[in-house]
Amino acid sequence: MPEPIIIFDDVTYTYPGTEEPALHSISFQIEPGEYVAILGLNGAGKTTTGLCVNGVVPTMLGGELTGKVTVGGLDVADYPVREMSKLVGMVFDNPEFQMSQMSAAEEVALGLENAGVPYEEMMRIIPETLELVGLAGFEERSPLALSGGQQQRLAIAAVLAMKPQILIMDEPTSNLDPIGKQEVFDMAAKLNRERGMTVIVIEHEVEVMARYADRVIVLEAGRIVMNGTPQEIFGRVDELAALKLRVPAAAELAKVLGSEYGLWKGPAPITTEPAVKAINELLGANRG
Amino acid sequence: MSMQAALPIAMIPGNSIIHRINPLAKLVWVVGYVVLAFSTQNIIILYSMAAFALLLAPIAGVTRPLLKGALILVPVGSSLLALQIIAPAVERPWTIVDQLGPLSLYGDGVYYGFVLLGRIVASLLLALIMVMTTHPSDLFTSFAKLKVPYTLNFMLAMTLQLIPVFQREVGIIMSAQKSRGMKGSGFSAVLPSFVPVFVGAIERVQQLSISLESRGFGSNGIKTSYRQVKGRPSDWVIGIIGVLVVAYLSTISIMRGTWSLATEITFSPLFVLVTFLVAASLFACVVLAAVLFSFKK
Repeated sequence: MPEPIIIFDDVTYTYPGTEEPALHSISFQIEPGEYVAILGLNGAGKTTTGLCVNGVVPTMLGGELTGKVTVGGLDVADYPVREMSKLVGMVFDNPEFQMSQMSAAEEVALGLENAGVPYEEMMRIIPETLELVGLAGFEERSPLALSGGQQQRLAIAAVLAMKPQILIMDEPTSNLDPIGKQEVFDMAAKLNRERGMTVIVIEHEVEVMARYADRVIVLEAGRIVMNGTPQEIFGRVDELAALKLRVPAAAELAKVLGSEYGLWKGPAPITTEPAVKAINELLGANRG
Repeated sequence: MSMQAALPIAMIPGNSIIHRINPLAKLVWVVGYVVLAFSTQNIIILYSMAAFALLLAPIAGVTRPLLKGALILVPVGSSLLALQIIAPAVERPWTIVDQLGPLSLYGDGVYYGFVLLGRIVASLLLALIMVMTTHPSDLFTSFAKLKVPYTLNFMLAMTLQLIPVFQREVGIIMSAQKSRGMKGSGFSAVLPSFVPVFVGAIERVQQLSISLESRGFGSNGIKTSYRQVKGRPSDWVIGIIGVLVVAYLSTISIMRGTWSLATEITFSPLFVLVTFLVAASLFACVVLAAVLFSFKK
């Protein structure tokens, strides 16, 4: 059993100037190479949880943190964010606000420059990373002249170039069309599978999370209310509905078929394919 | 929407000889131009400098944008000349060369007006050519080589970046206010949109600082640079020639007490009158056009 790469030990955090804690005694662990989805309504503490991992909370934003966040064996509160950046890459929801350079290539180069990566290596990494996010050939374009989806992918590239062990994406697809969303999640899944990168995604897209995530953590008002595999979590349709969270359509359909028509037995499917298969069988049985 | 177009003066991409000169060599020339322009009152030198700058424009392929950028000189230059002719900024006694109704036109003012104009024209033209032929990132990389602190350099670069962003933001907010029935143009419409723009700016900067810090900004280790700016021998030659020429001409000018040719060059009353009328009417036209334009909106 490998050592967990992220450990939240009874973490309570209050933003400066507020009374109510944003996180209430949160404890969980993430193993290296896990793909974790964090779900919750706005204000549930998802972003704050992400910011704890790379140390923006509490070193940059201040506020009061009790408990301990350990990432890669380091107590996050003891290291400046720029040190944590070698370990943790974080992409935020508004890509345009993360752009600071005159060209896409320079945007990707920024983190490498700060890390002191030699020029020759940079010349190799930058095209490689832009290729990875599907922005090859955009090197000299101004980041501000890119579309929302392209900016989002550029923001991801800027972080990926630094080769972090942990990638946190905070609503990375809020500006993307369905195809763009798919691309981002496919890319994250690929990095997760092929490079063993630990991925944490903060998202509303339950369908996609059901497909990719190894684990789902559900937050409500700063507390962890569920923590388990997508199969376990998304099967609890009523509980999620009570939390005003969406569930994958397949799970909801199975739920309705089961409770109202008595047509569904066993665990609810959470992705489309098994649901289609099961319904087909159901129809076949009824026809015959 | 092209972001580049939002800035009136921006780099015109190209690969001319001028584009390829090291940014620092170009900067030496721009600073040299300013130094020389303000240490001499010799209009021959001043207008030769302006002519030289103009000669560079077609080589760099920036003639049209340069002339467009230089349009700003019309109100500045015309008001300057007109005012100097009726109220010279030189020591009395002034010599009256002509009388236009209640206005006395002074000969001393014509020369000094042309000196002031020449200084502005020469410095501005060369500075514009430099801006139009230098990639900002290359300039900032060069600054970094001169040991300009990284943070300061970054601030300068960031400011350039944010100007078009805020221009666009003002546009969006003004449209939003217009759609809610507020006045959509003119100064009174710009003012109320400042608050949302600034609040937005603060939020943007906060998010940006988190993002930058997350990418190792401010780390203490050695920094490398993606942009490689070469300093070839030719760049050194250009820079050194610039320094030498400027040093030589400004030293002579200062030794001769600004090297003014005001006594050598005299202007006929007719020339003074025509210059004044042209400058004054040009300026009046500009003012009138500005007033009409703002009312029409």
